[in-house]
Amino acid sequence: MNSFGNMAEAVIAGDFETVKKMTQTMIDEQVDPIAIINQGLMAGMNVVGVRFKAGDMFVPEVMMSARAMSTGIELVKPLIADTNMPSAGKVVIGTVKGDLHDIGKKLVVMMLESAGFQVVDLGVDQAPADFVKAVQEHNPHVVGMSALLTTTMLKMKDTVDALKEAGLRDKVKVIVGGAPVNRSFAEQIGADGFASDAATATDLCKTLAQ
Amino acid sequence: MSRIRSNYAMQVSPFLRWVGEGQLEEIHLATLEVLENTGIRVDHADALQLLRDAGCIVKDENIVRIPSWLVEECIRLAPRKIVVANRKGERVMPLEKNRTYFGTGSDLPFTVDFETGERRRSTKQDVELAARVMDYLPNYDFVMSYAIASEQMAAASDLHQFEGMVTNTVKPMIVTAHDERNMRAQLEMASLVVGGREKLRQNPFLILYSEPISPLVHTVDGIGKMFACFEYGVPVVYTPGILSGATTPVTKAGTIVLMNAEALAGVVMAQLKQKGAPIIIGGGATPMDMRTTTTLYGAPETSMNYAVMTQLSQYYGIPNFTEAGCVNAPVPDAQAGMEASISILMAQLMGANLVHDIGYLEGGKTGSLTFLTMCNEFMDAARYMGAGTRIDHATMAVDVIKEVGVGGNFVTHTHTFENFRQEIWTPKLSNRSFWDKWEEQGSKTMEQKAAEWTKEILAAHQPEALPDSVCAGMKEIIAEIER
Repeated sequence: MNSFGNMAEAVIAGDFETVKKMTQTMIDEQVDPIAIINQGLMAGMNVVGVRFKAGDMFVPEVMMSARAMSTGIELVKPLIADTNMPSAGKVVIGTVKGDLHDIGKKLVVMMLESAGFQVVDLGVDQAPADFVKAVQEHNPHVVGMSALLTTTMLKMKDTVDALKEAGLRDKVKVIVGGAPVNRSFAEQIGADGFASDAATATDLCKTLAQ
Repeated sequence: MSRIRSNYAMQVSPFLRWVGEGQLEEIHLATLEVLENTGIRVDHADALQLLRDAGCIVKDENIVRIPSWLVEECIRLAPRKIVVANRKGERVMPLEKNRTYFGTGSDLPFTVDFETGERRRSTKQDVELAARVMDYLPNYDFVMSYAIASEQMAAASDLHQFEGMVTNTVKPMIVTAHDERNMRAQLEMASLVVGGREKLRQNPFLILYSEPISPLVHTVDGIGKMFACFEYGVPVVYTPGILSGATTPVTKAGTIVLMNAEALAGVVMAQLKQKGAPIIIGGGATPMDMRTTTTLYGAPETSMNYAVMTQLSQYYGIPNFTEAGCVNAPVPDAQAGMEASISILMAQLMGANLVHDIGYLEGGKTGSLTFLTMCNEFMDAARYMGAGTRIDHATMAVDVIKEVGVGGNFVTHTHTFENFRQEIWTPKLSNRSFWDKWEEQGSKTMEQKAAEWTKEILAAHQPEALPDSVCAGMKEIIAEIER
């Protein structure tokens, strides 16, 4: 128990070298790999999430904690069957057609991963058909779209419509974000949610993936 | 009797330097290393060919490594002076070292409605109203669209914004365009306005604002628009908007090196396309807030970056584009006043050329006519300070002091009468009354007074109209793009 606590502390501190060593020691001691994730690595990351939201931790610290957590997960992953792998849910995400700006989307991806989501990042300049294909292939809980430009923002509706046409709209939740996007726009195009920043997007995915 | 003094040096305006010459050279050399060793990505076929032909190493995925000598050669070719005219062909805005011009920015998605106070999506009318207000306010030297004409057909919203500006102000303008095709349409509209392409080339009244995407990506649209403008002799701002700690290193020096590499890559492509092409360097050097991930425009480090970048552009002898008066405060409150004034004063004292984004709220997402008007006053104060302190025989007033003598008063003296307007700045909106008087006059805040003034301007100021035939011609061009 104490060692889980220490591991969580190391995750919070973003000390990936220590996390790596502790994880290996636990594996050698035959500790349940799922417990390592849930009680050690994720337990630390959950504290990070709370502190970040309270403004007590900053983005680069969160990123380093996430890196520490994934260092541990990489080690235990081979010991767990794919179907048993703890996951908060699966998200397909991309920047819409015509838009090459993706720092906002990258932040969302990193935040989602740090919260235990499995994320398929399609990259930039993704047409509605690309989103449809990815949804068919990966069967995610949530599909996320981002845009920086008002002109490309309108492509979000095309994607929602394309998902409808492909008969996938009921199977997946759609969320949108980016500087020009707001709640009323999200409602207008028939999306399930809108988030103004990466932390809110992560909370939104947690709700929608339940 | 002679008042001439030997070896007498006068410093007429304040002299603010942020870093030394050696440090500028360090940044320059580091930038050359980035361009030569990391390289840039160029997605524009024509530009890629020009770079290859000039001796750059081009590798897979369009990664171009630019040799140092070529960068320095192109810096020398870029003009040190770019004259921008107003709509009437008057050469009002020479971009020369240490001449500072203020204007707002472009494309705000949201606007605080002047009538209702509600924050809503921006429209073409917001572009028109902002242009009209800035046409009147003396401290705005150039305009940008301020708002997005988002209720218009998206394919031509940039053209609508240009039309909204050019029909509501004679001042020089900086435009944005979706892509090369729409840029060409705007250039044709601009030619119509001044009476032909030759006249536009002789006295361009518009500048394009185009961007690379950090880190180090140069897009088809970004370069295509730029090259189109050079055909028309129209100057181009080619500068990145970044987030320190996300799209550039978190350190100020690293941010500046990376942004400089992106801007100088633009200079190289511009000069290879056309020797002497009028290009403007700089950019928006904004850190990411590490608590909220928002873009920090109104922050002290942003102004510190612009100080170095302005010196860098002066070191190169290439005009620059920077930013001030853009605040993170969501409303025009005390925070907004602090953020705007610090940055505006810094830009003025450093001698930055094109200082845009004045009058933006919420980190460049929300516009407000009232705040635009308030900023006129901040710029006025900064310019007053920038003009410096007059020190000469008349202003030292030794004779006047003698005349008034011990225990006298200066308020009735002609020296006071003759000099007070120049020596004591008179604001338009700031509250300076004693409390009772202020209450008597309605206990108004500066913001309320600015709103009232804005209302008066909108009611009374009619910008110089364009001929009907020009307006009709512009509408045809827009209709063509919308078709």
